[in-house]
Amino acid sequence: MLLHTRGISHLIEAPVVGPVTRAATSSERGQILVAEDGVPYDIDLSSFKAILTSVSDPVDFPSVHSVKSLDHLSEGDLLAIHSDGTINTLYRPASRHNFLLFTERCNSNCLMCSQPPRNRNDIEYLYWIYRSLIPQIPKDCFELGITGGEPTLMGNLFFSLLEELKSELPDTELHCLTNGRSFAWHNVADKLGRMRYERLMLGIPLYSDYYQQHDYIVQAKNAFHQTMQGLYNLAAYDQRIEIRIVLHQQTIPRLTRLAKFIYRNLPFVEHVAFMGLEHQGYTPHNIDKLWIDPVEYMAELSEAVNYLSDYGMRVSIYNSQLCLMPEDLWQFNKKSISDWKNIYLDTCSSCTRIDNCGGLFASAVTRHSKHLKAFE
Amino acid sequence: MFELKEKQSRKFKDQQFYDAVPDSATYCLLPFRFHRINQDKEVLVNEVGDFLLVAKGTAARIINRVLSKNADETLYADLIAGFFITEHVIPPMLDVIAARYRTRKSFLDYFTALHIFVITLRCEHTCHYCQVSRVTENKHAFDMRRAHIDAGIDLMMHSPNPHVTMEFQGGEALLAFDNIVYAVERTKREAGRHNKQVSFVICTNLAPLTDDMVAYCKDNRILISTSIDGPDYVHNQNRHRPEKNSYEVAVQGIEKCKEALGIDRVSALLTTTTLSLKFPHEIVDEYFKLGFRNIFLRPISPYGFATHNHTKNKYNTDLFLNFYKEALNKIIDYNLKGEYFREDYATIILKKMLTPFPVGYVDLQSPAGMINSVIVFNYDGKVYASDEARMLAEMHDDTFMLGELCVHSYDEIFYGDKAVQLSEAWLNESLPGCSECAFQSYCGSDPVLNHATQGNMFGHRPTSVFCQKNMEIIRHLFQLMDSDRRIEKIFRTWTRN
Amino acid sequence: MESKITATGLELLIDQALYSEDVVFKCFYWYSGTFNVEIEQSLPSQIRVIVKPKKEQAFEPEILLEQISKDLIDFKLRDIVTKETTTIRELIIAKAFAYADFEQNPTTEVSDPVGFDPTLIQ
Repeated sequence: MLLHTRGISHLIEAPVVGPVTRAATSSERGQILVAEDGVPYDIDLSSFKAILTSVSDPVDFPSVHSVKSLDHLSEGDLLAIHSDGTINTLYRPASRHNFLLFTERCNSNCLMCSQPPRNRNDIEYLYWIYRSLIPQIPKDCFELGITGGEPTLMGNLFFSLLEELKSELPDTELHCLTNGRSFAWHNVADKLGRMRYERLMLGIPLYSDYYQQHDYIVQAKNAFHQTMQGLYNLAAYDQRIEIRIVLHQQTIPRLTRLAKFIYRNLPFVEHVAFMGLEHQGYTPHNIDKLWIDPVEYMAELSEAVNYLSDYGMRVSIYNSQLCLMPEDLWQFNKKSISDWKNIYLDTCSSCTRIDNCGGLFASAVTRHSKHLKAFE
Repeated sequence: MFELKEKQSRKFKDQQFYDAVPDSATYCLLPFRFHRINQDKEVLVNEVGDFLLVAKGTAARIINRVLSKNADETLYADLIAGFFITEHVIPPMLDVIAARYRTRKSFLDYFTALHIFVITLRCEHTCHYCQVSRVTENKHAFDMRRAHIDAGIDLMMHSPNPHVTMEFQGGEALLAFDNIVYAVERTKREAGRHNKQVSFVICTNLAPLTDDMVAYCKDNRILISTSIDGPDYVHNQNRHRPEKNSYEVAVQGIEKCKEALGIDRVSALLTTTTLSLKFPHEIVDEYFKLGFRNIFLRPISPYGFATHNHTKNKYNTDLFLNFYKEALNKIIDYNLKGEYFREDYATIILKKMLTPFPVGYVDLQSPAGMINSVIVFNYDGKVYASDEARMLAEMHDDTFMLGELCVHSYDEIFYGDKAVQLSEAWLNESLPGCSECAFQSYCGSDPVLNHATQGNMFGHRPTSVFCQKNMEIIRHLFQLMDSDRRIEKIFRTWTRN
Repeated sequence: MESKITATGLELLIDQALYSEDVVFKCFYWYSGTFNVEIEQSLPSQIRVIVKPKKEQAFEPEILLEQISKDLIDFKLRDIVTKETTTIRELIIAKAFAYADFEQNPTTEVSDPVGFDPTLIQ
């Protein structure tokens, strides 16, 4: 599934954000016309924002030509076209896994980061793209993710975009991934609290109950204490919180202790998600410190999950495969992998439980459990 | 906008780099207490009631600074994460600890919840352990006057608690049912005016129960609290009634109430007597048979003790503890076989051990339940700090009388000199023997019991039955959890509700 | 610790440099149920403790001495914790029940390479 492509741009000075159509005679204003084989002569182009073609002849209109493949673009997809000819798909109405990447900057550097941070200050640029995008997102969008990097590094602009989302998409559930550290500063938590944004849930990772281990995993000093303070500040304002834990060599040894820590010190969280490792980003580089065949940690996972569940906390397991899990954990398993990177292996084609199983990450082709097998 | 050299700032560092005090071999202590559980294990308990079961001698190693960050890495991490030690003079998680502490004590937030109205002293049973005089004639002398009922309701409305409980006791409360109706109706009106939610409870042996009474309870969502001491041969021995059928009448009443009100609106309490102590398994089976899925193994009434006789009291407490452990085993057996069945006294303690939430139970909390959680309005208009305080008054000791209805104001009763006096002794954090006890967070204090059995409100821990009983039950619960993982899981299910 | 066994009980001479007055009192408090305990100053830095079993109580001096030695150590440990954590306990309770919120921001770095400053968010 392609979300980026590029070609040669012409007459595009600033980013263009708009919805895809292939209907050359469309009367709607502000769309991006996709005409793989070139634009017909007698069409009035003035209502379009830009044209995308695969042919190599330029058009005398803001456009990108010589794009290798435009097949992945569907009617209504929202794109950002940049002056360098890159075309990014920002939103797909057909998908339930849309997310807005607020910035690639991050103040952590997790060993297993699947979206490695970049120190370029992209915030203003992305801010204006999203200001342009958000009003164009269909109002019936069920849920939207906010990711990064670390979205709160946008500062006041972060809150500005949240306000925009709240007013343009009042019925959309927002799920914002953040390390929570910025909320250790009371003014930041206070500002979020005053928004009273009930559809917003923050997904905050906590990888150990022991500060040294958490800081090591996220590769940032003081991260644990800042995240904990942030969680408490957020709770004081009744914010909805989910705790996320990635399952790998570093988090498994203290997993049950972490579960107990969460219950005792963070009983107010709405949801706890235990997540299988994605073989992407920094993970291949650090694989020796991270990889553990999921089958080997099922005992610990079962203990941690059941502990929290016994006390009435909502728990889910993401990015895992049913054939690797003991039956008592199946009820917690969710199909969580974003559609554009979700695959099943050849082994899976005959599996009788394939409909209930979340499958694997596309990146798992290179590294997955030795114990995957189909149910008969 | 500026760019940093990406490679330099994002190079991966190893775990030692994230050690906050890499050059230091020492750490600071956070407040914690310890106690030997058995031959091999001791328990460490921190300031917010979290515990750690460790090998005997661990507390000494921690306090003597013999612990090694490297050699004892797992334990060291447990102690840091568990708020037993810290690497900074001011712990970085101080706000978290303070919030946890505040949460544990927040059962105090709204002050008095339970208001007991001793609506009559009349009763047609003659239970041998009952301190209450058994009066069947002359109802006017022994029923609560309406003026007193009104005054009691006014004080109840004065409580800062948005949700109060009005509990009718006796004697046999149903013998004064007309007064109960009067009280409930008046309370409903007043509650509307004061914007209060009120729960109603009637404590009764169910002998006088009629269909009209059941209907009234149903309409007003009144909870029925009754007594079942065990199978008939135990119950009837304990509770004499002329027809010798207290058990049969109680069971009939329970069935009627279950059907009309639902099983969750009927609860049964146990009074343990010397006879009961012989039948732990049978009593548990009886409760299960009657459809109850919880049982409250209340400790033997201290007022059945020869007060001030330490040796006799200790002996009786030992007997009770044996009974308790046997009964608890039977209950755990039911659970191991897949049946949910909860022991309520253990559950109160387990909630304090296993959850971060506040637990208010009048007989086992610090500050004590008297006044802070409960107040008693006696049939004669006198106001007492707790139910036991009233029982003491029946034995001609008015030490814990706080005032009189229609005479004294809310402030004079709840904040008067007597109350202040009691407050000196009701906090186990500052009592000798309790202040450094590992079980402090799970236990409570009982100034009335201390006064009754030991002659002063502060009490003497080494000879206190309250201490003896609670320390052993708490130690026993730790022992059970340590011995069998399945039991810990069962206990978890008990703490959820 | 010097000890002497008499017909009626046990006499102990405790060096205050090793076990302070607080420790001695807290320890022997727990013996005062089954024993009559007398505590007095013998020398400037020495405490004399006389432990006599109450009537009807069996007297096994060796076992008693062993138990006392263990308990003195335990109560000394408890005393160390109590003394060392007095301030932090007061701080916890003050923070827990204060009406005003002492809202303190972290003194540590937010560690963003590009220079994010959370205090600028208004």
